[in-house]
Amino acid sequence: MAFREINAKMIEATVTPGQRLFSQRGAMLAYRGEVSFTPSTAGGQGGIMSMIGRRVADEDTPLMTVEGSGTVLFGHGGHHIQVIRLTGDTLYVEADRLLAFEGSLQQGTMFLGSQGGVMGMVRGQVSGQGLFTTTLKGQGAVAVMAHGGVIEIPITPQRPVHVDPQAYVAHHGDVRNKLSTALGWRDMVGRGSGEAFQLELSGSGAVYVQASEEKL
Amino acid sequence: MSTYQSPGAGPVVFDPATLPPDDKVNDYTFCVELKGSQWFLQKGKMIAYYGSIDFNGVGHGRLDRLVRTSFHSPLHASDWVVAEGSGKMLLADRAFDVNSYDLTEGNLTIRSGNLLAFQPTLSLKQSIVPGFLTLIGTGKFVAASNGPVVFMDPPIRVDPQALVGWADCPSPCHHYDHGYMTGVMGGLRALTGLGGASGEEHQFEFVGAGTVLLQSSETLMAEQATGAVPHQAGVPGGGAHGPQAGQSGVPRLPGQLGDLQRRFGL
Repeated sequence: MAFREINAKMIEATVTPGQRLFSQRGAMLAYRGEVSFTPSTAGGQGGIMSMIGRRVADEDTPLMTVEGSGTVLFGHGGHHIQVIRLTGDTLYVEADRLLAFEGSLQQGTMFLGSQGGVMGMVRGQVSGQGLFTTTLKGQGAVAVMAHGGVIEIPITPQRPVHVDPQAYVAHHGDVRNKLSTALGWRDMVGRGSGEAFQLELSGSGAVYVQASEEKL
Repeated sequence: MSTYQSPGAGPVVFDPATLPPDDKVNDYTFCVELKGSQWFLQKGKMIAYYGSIDFNGVGHGRLDRLVRTSFHSPLHASDWVVAEGSGKMLLADRAFDVNSYDLTEGNLTIRSGNLLAFQPTLSLKQSIVPGFLTLIGTGKFVAASNGPVVFMDPPIRVDPQALVGWADCPSPCHHYDHGYMTGVMGGLRALTGLGGASGEEHQFEFVGAGTVLLQSSETLMAEQATGAVPHQAGVPGGGAHGPQAGQSGVPRLPGQLGDLQRRFGL
C-alpha cells in the first residue's frame, strides 16, 4: 500500500519506479532515497484539455509529481490527514484538500449543477465547494486533509446522513446529496440555530466529516 | 494518563499531590516539579503553578552564576526566565504537542521556538545553524512540536519547515534540487515562471550517525513574543478583548433609541 499513517498528521508514502504519485506542492516533509519532485504544470492527470478544465473550474491546486524510489513523508499545515482507499468507486473531494494520491487514480472535475441543477450549485456555494469539485476514480489511495480529526460515516440506502456543510470533507460511493434547509423567521432576525443548511447524503457509500467547522 | 476515563465520567481533576512530577499531564501539558531547584523556561510558556515559584529574567543579577554555567546565548537571553522555588508548574504552548527528552552526556540541536524549558544541568548554546539552539550535557528538557515528533535515522532529506532538530551530530547541510531546472520544460519554467516550482527544491540533508526529529506539519510555530502582560486577550486592561456583542453584523440604530436593539437581543 502506498500510504502509511505515521500519526494523525503525517503519512509515509512508498514510491517505486514506474509508480508515480501526485501530491500538493510543498507538502513534502522529508524523504529518503532517490525521489524527484516535479511541478505538474497540468495540475494533475490528463492532457491539456483537462488542465484547462481544471483552470476554468478553479480546481487546479498546485500539484507535483513524485517519482523515483524511496519513501516520502507528507504533511501540510498541521492538518489532520485521512487516508481513503478506493476500490473502483469515485471520491468527491475539493482539490485543495488533496494532500497526495496515487497515480493509478483517474482525476476529473465535476460540475455540481449536474447533480440537482440549481440546487446543486447553491449546495456548492454553501458547502464551500464552489461550482465544481474534483473526482478521483479507480483503485488506489488518497490522502485528504481536514481541520481537526476525521470520522467516516457510512451511508446506507435506509439511513441517509445529514452533515454540516462546513464540516463536510469528502464522500465516495453511489451517493446523491442534496441541500436541506431549515430556514425560518428566526434566521431572518439573526436568532437562528446556526444549522439552517444541512447536506443530506443518501445512497450507499461513505462520507468523511471533520471535527471542526473551519475550512482549510 | 488520559484526561477522560470513560464517557460521562468527566475530566480528571488534579491537585498538587496527583500532578505527575516531571511528566506529561496530557499530550499538551507538561508538569515540572521544583524542589528548591531551578529550571530555565521560555517566556510565556508557564500556564499555571502550585507552590511558591519565582520567575526571574535571565539577566537577573542573582542568577549570574547559573547563567554563566548553563546559558550561553545572549541572543535569546531576553526570551528566557529562570523558575526557582518549590512547587509544581505546568508548561504548555498553544496546544502544540509537548514532550520531554532526557539527555545523558549528549547533545541535541533544536529549533529555538520549539524549546520550552530545560534543566540547568544542561547547557544551552546557539547552534551554528541560525535559529537553532544546542543543548549539551545531562538532564531533561521539554519541547513542543506541531503534531507528534517523529524520529528518523539519516540519511534523510527534510523540508526546512518540518525540521524540529537533531541529536548526536548527524551532519546537516543544504540540498538543492536542480532537477527542476533541467530539460526543456524545466528551462521554460525557469524562464517564464509558468508552472511554478514544486516547492521542494531545497531541503536539509542529514548524513552520518544520529537521529533527526521531525514535526508532522510545515506550519512553523510563530516565534511570537509571548509573556508580555499588556495587549493580551483575557488580561483585564490588556487591550485586546473578545468580539464585542452587538458589533457583529447588525448596525446600530442612529441615536441608539435607548439601545432598543440590545433590549430585543439583536
